[in-house]
Amino acid sequence: MVFTLKACKYVIRRHILLETDLDHLIDRIFFMDTPAEIEHVRLKALNNLWMHNRDWTEMAESGGPHVITSGKGVRVTDSEGNSWIDVNAGYSCVNIGYGRPEIAQAVYEQINKTSFCPIGTTTETVIRLAEKLAELAPGDLNRVFFSTGGSEANETALKIAKAYHNRRGEPGRYRVISRKGSYHGMTGGVLWTGDGPAVHKADYGPAYPGMLHVPQPNPYRCEFGGETESECAILCAQAIEDTILFHGAETISAFIGEPIAIPQGAPVPSKEYWPMVRDICDRYGVIMIADEVVCGFGRTGKMFAMEHFNVVPDIMTVAKGIISAYLPMAGTIVSDRIADSFSGGDASLKHVLTNSGHPVSAAAALKNISIIEEENMVDNAKVVGGYFKNQLENMIMDHPYVGDVRGVGLFLAMELVSDRKTKAGFDTGIEIGVRLTKKFKSKGLIFRARENILHFGPPLCITREEVDEIVHAVDLGLWEFEGECGVGRFA
Amino acid sequence: MNTKTELQGKANRHLWMQAKGWADMTAAGEPMIIESANGISVTDIEGNTWLDVNGGYSSVNIGYGRKDMADIVKNQMLQLSYYPEQTTTFPNALLAEKLAEITPGTLSRVWPVSGGSEANEIAIRMARAYHVRRGDKGRYKIISRYGSYHGATSGVAWLGRPASLGLDQYEPGPLGMIYASQPNPYSCSFGGKSPSECAILCAQDIENLIIQNDPDTIAAIIGEPITSSLGAVVPGEQYWLIVREICDRYGILLIDDEVVCGFGRTGKMFGIEHFGVTPDIMTLAKGLGSSYVPIGAVIATTQIADAFAGKENIFYAALTAGGHPVSTASALANINIIEQEGLVEASAVKGRYFINRLNNLAVKHPIVGDVRGMGLLVAIELDSKFTIDDKELEDWLVNTFKDNGLLLRTLGSRVIQMSPPLCITEAEIDIIVDALDSTLTKLSSYLSKV
Repeated sequence: MVFTLKACKYVIRRHILLETDLDHLIDRIFFMDTPAEIEHVRLKALNNLWMHNRDWTEMAESGGPHVITSGKGVRVTDSEGNSWIDVNAGYSCVNIGYGRPEIAQAVYEQINKTSFCPIGTTTETVIRLAEKLAELAPGDLNRVFFSTGGSEANETALKIAKAYHNRRGEPGRYRVISRKGSYHGMTGGVLWTGDGPAVHKADYGPAYPGMLHVPQPNPYRCEFGGETESECAILCAQAIEDTILFHGAETISAFIGEPIAIPQGAPVPSKEYWPMVRDICDRYGVIMIADEVVCGFGRTGKMFAMEHFNVVPDIMTVAKGIISAYLPMAGTIVSDRIADSFSGGDASLKHVLTNSGHPVSAAAALKNISIIEEENMVDNAKVVGGYFKNQLENMIMDHPYVGDVRGVGLFLAMELVSDRKTKAGFDTGIEIGVRLTKKFKSKGLIFRARENILHFGPPLCITREEVDEIVHAVDLGLWEFEGECGVGRFA
Repeated sequence: MNTKTELQGKANRHLWMQAKGWADMTAAGEPMIIESANGISVTDIEGNTWLDVNGGYSSVNIGYGRKDMADIVKNQMLQLSYYPEQTTTFPNALLAEKLAEITPGTLSRVWPVSGGSEANEIAIRMARAYHVRRGDKGRYKIISRYGSYHGATSGVAWLGRPASLGLDQYEPGPLGMIYASQPNPYSCSFGGKSPSECAILCAQDIENLIIQNDPDTIAAIIGEPITSSLGAVVPGEQYWLIVREICDRYGILLIDDEVVCGFGRTGKMFGIEHFGVTPDIMTLAKGLGSSYVPIGAVIATTQIADAFAGKENIFYAALTAGGHPVSTASALANINIIEQEGLVEASAVKGRYFINRLNNLAVKHPIVGDVRGMGLLVAIELDSKFTIDDKELEDWLVNTFKDNGLLLRTLGSRVIQMSPPLCITEAEIDIIVDALDSTLTKLSSYLSKV
C-alpha cells in the first residue's frame, strides 16, 4: 500500500500518543512545501549542516543546497518538484531502487515489536539475517559480525585477521596489503588501505602503521606496462608476492581488495588475477579479505562479484546493497576456519559496537534481500547492464574524448581522455568534473563526474528505457563539452 | 513458529555476537532472544519479562516501544529512504538546526554519522585537518584519559586504551596516542584526598604531558564529561574548567565525547553543562536516536567549521549512512520526545532518588566502596578489600541479577553501572535497588566460600 502525503499525515496523527505533540514536527519534516518553508530549510542546511565533501560558502553563492524530498525507482524529486534520475543511486547503494513501501512496513513492524535489545541478547530478525547471509555467501563463509557501514565492516575484518594470527601464535603479523586505486572506508585504520583520489590523507596523518600498497590491476593503465589484460593481471598479482617476500610473510596479516574497484572507474581485472591472489595468500598464510561493499548484492550481475572469478575469500565484507541504504547496515562474513579460533572463553573477540546487529536494520535487510531475489534483480543487473555497456561503447565512435568503457553488470564506467593515444587526462584548470556534472544536471541527471571518470551505478531495477535516457543525456553533455573544447563533431 | 532452541542454534551457528563466543553461549543456553519491549522492560521469546537496567548500551534514552517513533520512521521511509550524492533532505537540515540550538556556545555545524565510533573518528580527523588548514601542520597527537572508551574502530580504539578491547593483540597501534590519568576521586592516581584535589592534580598532569610531548605536536584532548567505561566517574568540579583553560593556552582542541552522557543521561541535556565548559567539537550518538535506528553526529563550533569554508578548504570525508534521512528524522522525533516529556529533568530527579537509595545500600553493605554518578548514569564500586577481580565473579553477579529479573552487565567484577531509560519510575528504581540489595547479601556469603 502506497501512502499519499495526506494519508501519511493521517496515519501518523492517528498513532500519536496523547502526551506527545509531534504534530508540529511532523508538519516540518513532511509537509513543508511553501517557498518560505523551503527557503528556511535551505538556510538551515547552509548554516548548520556539514554536507559530505561540500563547502557551504560556494553552495551559498550557487543558491543553496539541492534538497531532495521524495524518491521512487531510479528517480528522485526535489523541493521545487523537479524530477531527476539518480545515476549513482546514492553512493551506488540503493540497489532495489527508491521508495519501496515493503521495507517501510517491515521496519514499522519490527519497531513495534522491539526497536533494540539489551547487551548480550538478540532478536529473530538478526538471527535470520545471519543465516541468510551464510546461505548466500560462497564456501564456508558462515559467521557474520554486523555493523553499520562499510568502514566498520572492513575495520572489523582487519581486526579479526590480526586477532586470528595472534590466536595461532603468530602475533608478528600486523601488516595489511591493499591496492592503489581502491577505497575501503574512512575510519582510522581502513582510511590508510587503498589509495584513491577521494581521500586527502595529508590532512589526517600520520598513517596507520603497517599499511602496504600494490598496483591496481587496471588493464587500461597498467602500472607495469602490461600489454594485455592477462599480462597486467599476472604482473599485478606477482607484485603482491614480491611485497610479501620483501617484508617477510611472518609480518603480513591480510590482503584486502574489492573484486572490482571503484575509484579508478570499475577496472575489471583479467580472469587470472584473483585465483593467483588466492593462491599467494594461501601459500604465505595471509588472510584474503574481499570487500563486496559496493560490488555485493547483484551490482555486477552476480550476487557477489567474487563469483565472476570463482574465488572464495577468507573474509567478505558487505554494506550498501545489503539494505539498499534504507537504513545503516553492514556485515563482516567470516569463514568457519577463521571464526573457530574465537568460539569461547578468553579467545572470544573483544569488539563492541552499539549498533552491531540492530534488530530494525536487520528487518529491513531481510526484506531487501527477498526483493532482490524475488524480482530477479541480479539477472536484471546482468541483462540491462549488458545493454547499458553496449550503449556506452557505441559512444566511443562519436566522442573523441571517450578513452575506455568498462565494468560489468550495473557497475560501469567511462574514462575520458584528452588524447586517446597517450591516454592523457585533462588540466585541472579545465574543471572537467564540475563542468560535466553541471551539464548532466541540465539534462535531468544527478550524476557527479569524478574528474575524468564517469561511474555508473544505478538501482538494479533500472529499465532499458531509463538507460536510454541516461545515455542520451550523457551523449549530449559530452557533445557540448567537447564542442567547448574545440574537438568532436560540433567543434 | 520457531522454537527458541532452533533460533538459538542458528544464532550460535551463524551470528558473531559482541564480546562473547558462541561455544560459551551454547553452554549457557544463550543468546536470549527478545520479542517485545516497552518502557524499561523487554520480553523474551518465552514470555519472560526483564528490566533492562543498561537501556540497551546506555542508549535507549526515551525507553522502548514508542509507537510514535515507529510512525516517524515508517513515514520518512515512505517519503524518502535515501538521497543522491551532494544533495540533502529536510530532516537532515532540521536536525542540524535543532542540534545547533540545543548544544552550548557556538557549536553550530553538524556532520551526521551512524554511531559513536564514527563520530569520534570524524572528530579526530576534523581536529587534525583544522590545524593543517591553519598552517599548523605538525599537530597530530591526541590526549585521552587512560581507561576511557571512545569506540572500536582503529583510529579511536586506542584512545584511552580500554581493557575491554584487548588491544595488546593489535599492536602496533596508531602514532601519537598520549594517555592522561582519569580524574577518579575514588582511586586518584595522584593520591588526591578530595574530588577537587584529584581534579586539580589530574588536570595539571595533562599540562605536564603537553609540555613533555611538545605542545606544537598536539591536536586535541578527548574525554567524556563523566567517564562511563569506568562506571560513572564524576570528576571534581574544577577539572573541565582547568582542562579548557589548558587547551586554550596551548592551541589544543577540546573534543567532548557525549555519546553516553548526551541527551539527558546525566540530568542535563549534555554532560559538559554540569561543568560550565564549551568544547570545540562535541560527538553524539546513542541518546540522539535512543537506538530506534543507528545515528550519531559530530558538531563543531563556528570557529572550527569556518576553517573548512571555501572551495580549497573542503573537509574530505564521506560515509554512506552519514546523514541518513530516516535516521535524522527519527533523531528529531526522539529529541522532541525528550523535550516534550521533560526527560532531562526527570533524569536529574530520578537520578537523585536512585543515588540516595544506593547510598543507603552502601551503609548496609560495607562491601560497597563507592556510590557515584549523575542523573541516570550511576554506579557502585565494590571495595577491593572485600572482593576479587575475576571473570567467575562477574558471571556470578550477572546471573544473580538475572535471577532477580534484571538484565544488568557489570564492568568487570567490581563496578556495576546503571543507565536505564530516562522514563524509569521510582517504583522501577526500587525493584532494581532491592535486587541489588539481595545480590549483595548473597555476595558476602558467596565470597566467604571462595
